[in-house]
Amino acid sequence: MLEERTRIDKAASVGNYLSLYFGQDQGVRLGESTVVSRKGHARMPEKRVKGQIKILLNRDAGKSYLDYVEADQVVHIDIYHRPGIIDPRMVAQAIFNAMDEYFLDKDPQLKYAEDERFKMVADYANKIYVVSKQGKGTIYDLFQGIVKPYTEGEEGWDHLHILARLNRDEYYMVYIIAEAAEGVILASGVKLSRVRNIIHGNQKQEQDSYAGYIKLPWKNFKGHHAQQLPDKENVNQLILKLAEKFGGVDEIEEFMESYSTNVFKRKGIEQQKKKWGDVEHDLEQLEELGLIKNTPFGKIMSKKGLELKEYVIKHKCELETEIRRNIRKTPSGGSSRFRKMGEITNKNSEVEFTNHNKTINDPDKNWSGDLAVPETILQAMKNSFFRGDDSLTIKKEDLHFYDKKSYVPIDVCLLMDASGSMAGDKRQAACFLAEHMLLTGKEKVAVVTFQERSSEVVVPFTRNQSVLNKGLATITPAGLTPMADGIVTAVNLIKESKVRNPLLVMITDGIPNTSLWTTDAKADAMEAAYRIPENDIRFICIGVESNRYYLEKLVERAKGALYLVDDLNKDNLINIIHNEKKTILDSKRQMA
Amino acid sequence: MIPFYKLQRYEGNAALFELVMMSIVSSYVGEPLHLHAEGLRGTGKTTIMRAAKGILPNITRIKGCIYNCDPEDPHCPHHKGMTEEEINRIGVEEIPMPFLEISHSAKVGTVVGSIDLAKLTDPARPEASMLPGLIPQAHRGILFVDEINRLADTSPEITDILLDVMGNKPGHIQIEEAGLPVVDIPVNVSIWAASNPDEDPGPLEEIRRQLSDRFDMVCYMGRPDSVDILAQMLEENSHRHKIKRNQEKRSQAENEAKDNEYRQKVIKWANTYNNTDLPDFLRNFIARLYIKHNIESIRAIEAMQQGAVLHSVISNRDKVMINDVTSMIPLVLKHRIDGDTLIRMVNDVESRGAREGILNFRGKKNKEKESEPEYFQHNARSLKDMSRNELVNTEKDLTPGEY
Repeated sequence: MLEERTRIDKAASVGNYLSLYFGQDQGVRLGESTVVSRKGHARMPEKRVKGQIKILLNRDAGKSYLDYVEADQVVHIDIYHRPGIIDPRMVAQAIFNAMDEYFLDKDPQLKYAEDERFKMVADYANKIYVVSKQGKGTIYDLFQGIVKPYTEGEEGWDHLHILARLNRDEYYMVYIIAEAAEGVILASGVKLSRVRNIIHGNQKQEQDSYAGYIKLPWKNFKGHHAQQLPDKENVNQLILKLAEKFGGVDEIEEFMESYSTNVFKRKGIEQQKKKWGDVEHDLEQLEELGLIKNTPFGKIMSKKGLELKEYVIKHKCELETEIRRNIRKTPSGGSSRFRKMGEITNKNSEVEFTNHNKTINDPDKNWSGDLAVPETILQAMKNSFFRGDDSLTIKKEDLHFYDKKSYVPIDVCLLMDASGSMAGDKRQAACFLAEHMLLTGKEKVAVVTFQERSSEVVVPFTRNQSVLNKGLATITPAGLTPMADGIVTAVNLIKESKVRNPLLVMITDGIPNTSLWTTDAKADAMEAAYRIPENDIRFICIGVESNRYYLEKLVERAKGALYLVDDLNKDNLINIIHNEKKTILDSKRQMA
Repeated sequence: MIPFYKLQRYEGNAALFELVMMSIVSSYVGEPLHLHAEGLRGTGKTTIMRAAKGILPNITRIKGCIYNCDPEDPHCPHHKGMTEEEINRIGVEEIPMPFLEISHSAKVGTVVGSIDLAKLTDPARPEASMLPGLIPQAHRGILFVDEINRLADTSPEITDILLDVMGNKPGHIQIEEAGLPVVDIPVNVSIWAASNPDEDPGPLEEIRRQLSDRFDMVCYMGRPDSVDILAQMLEENSHRHKIKRNQEKRSQAENEAKDNEYRQKVIKWANTYNNTDLPDFLRNFIARLYIKHNIESIRAIEAMQQGAVLHSVISNRDKVMINDVTSMIPLVLKHRIDGDTLIRMVNDVESRGAREGILNFRGKKNKEKESEPEYFQHNARSLKDMSRNELVNTEKDLTPGEY
């Protein structure tokens, strides 16, 4: 009996703590082998600290595992153990029984209300979901022997992965569940693993360690004489990887120059990070591949590294083609998440061209365009017969013409926040977007940046890729956010250039903090926003959730639309632009 | 035009020469092999493919049959189901293997077939009849499409037809014209295509993924990078050379002789190809690659099998070897999977070679796992053994030093 009471006490105390810490958006280690939170959990091999579990603050457990729409609905319990065989049915039974016992202990009166008790337990059993390497399912299903198979790579191969839908006042259940599950693990002869500590952080995009599988032909590397195809493919793949990170062949060279022995070309790591984001990962990979080596004077390029550089210079044409090919790739739509607010209604102009595979025959309509000879003759043959002509005659009603297709050209001006906070990955993503748009569309692209106290036209409206690349390479984020100045410059650029259906895309992760006319930065940006609809410019703003309130007002002024993302990454940006272009085309179709 | 044998061969275009030969041999036997050469301008994609026209062997068809009916297996609406006697009465003829081109002024009617306008408007005897388009006419031969990425962009209708023709081996085509009976015939046509992925409208797989997957093999062309080769190319293309070539009869005869050599080779190889099969262990090997690397396209491994056998044949061997298969991997998969997977696959195969047991994927995989050091220590106490105040630990409690 004493033991029973302690269990109830323990559960109650755990429940109190959990509701406290969960409220602060924290997770905890329960006991020594269990991690509990309302978020996702991950191992941290990147830091090489063993036994550590990271609580991923940007991944809500319910949303990511069970496709819930609302956050904080689900408690995530991971019980780590040495890989071994754990039957999920046993776990389910144990939890089921433990709950039953617990209710009985807590309220002995329930002994006489068996149906009531069973209903309570069954109710919870439907809300708890267990995954082990041997299978998965809700406790209710597992209890009846219905096991869904475990899929390779899923959560749960070295831990029991339990998701429970619990309200704040039900968190004491976590202890009951964990204790019962632990009992099953131990009973199966599997040892519990010790979680050394936990840390909180955001889930980073998985960094690819390419050093592991790319094999460079360094031993017999003789530049273009590298005979075997796989060698060359390996080198090319490495360069494509680097280009993905750094932006282009020129920028790879620039990066590698940072590790040359020429002191004047070397760049500090801080400066590199500003431009390219987290370079340390790539540096590590290059070191592993033997391209960069450590010397008493710092890191420098090894002989192999120099050879690679030479290879890059020699094969620039082909490499750039391959890189451009990768930039053209459209990301798959599913993975990105954004929210759109507001609607734009502008009129569009169209460009027409002839469609040689469709003909129209409409005698009542005045025509302009190309005559479709074969179709006309066919029609004339038929009609002459009906008209009763002796020989082939062609009348106006017989004429067929080629149809016309049209499309809406949209020239895009990117208005890019180049303040200090945009440094690194966000800068790279915005630059990538500009290149992607140029390479996949038939329209012109321009880039305007704002930083420090002013704004600058980095790339005027162009279809020339080298102009774009040169302009983008000069962007080094630093300083404040003079949004008003940026908007004014962009609007003026659009006004002065000959553009069709201009679309102004503002990418920012902040709100204005440097003013233009008055001393109030935010009010100035609002004022500047008026000029956008005045000049008949379509406007969208891509921002982050935390600035929603201000940006919403700004966009309303500008008669534009606001896209909110949780992360300013490539895929999100590209998908937003695709989405926006699609809405423009759809609206055209509706009007027609 | 420069004859096939005089074209410069260098590292960057060697693969295409091989592929062209393989496809000719395969088409001659009756199994199409679709090729796509991608590369920058001036890498000789179109030149090599067009020059191959000169070395094509002859095929036998029923006399005057515009659909190129094989006398042994007539398929067209005119000759289908004829007896041997009837065919003998019409007679047979030898023609060079067809090599036709779809140009950018092509329309659905010219590619598939349409009503014959000349017969229709004949004042003496007007008659409605079908005029087969390029694809049915290229039966048992080769159809070349230059700048296929642009064609896919501007004429989706023609692209749809190509999808049908390339979908199966043999493919099929249906010709429909109002007022005439529908004609549905099988076609055995190897489609050869060339494109520059860097020019508008971009690489084919971005424009029409399906069409790009239909190509059995894609060859990425490299630029010539040796001075000697470039100098020789220039010489071959100099004005003096061109004029001389047109005037000299002697060189004509020489070219003809060289072309004939190729023709004889193709016929010889075709015979070998008919008698060669992929050994079972290599077939298993390909199947395992498919499973292990999660390749999506069955067409890819089919092409790998076909390519491996052909590659061994044109290397004058009668046995297929493992490196015939591995050399096909990049050609078959480069346009179908991403670069990372391809590299993993190539390196995986390379590093192990034949001796270490290519069939033994599992053994290696398990070994790696075992050597991985354990992430956790397995000495945790259970919840039952802990007192109440030990139960809940926060990040702060567990890493005291950092706060």
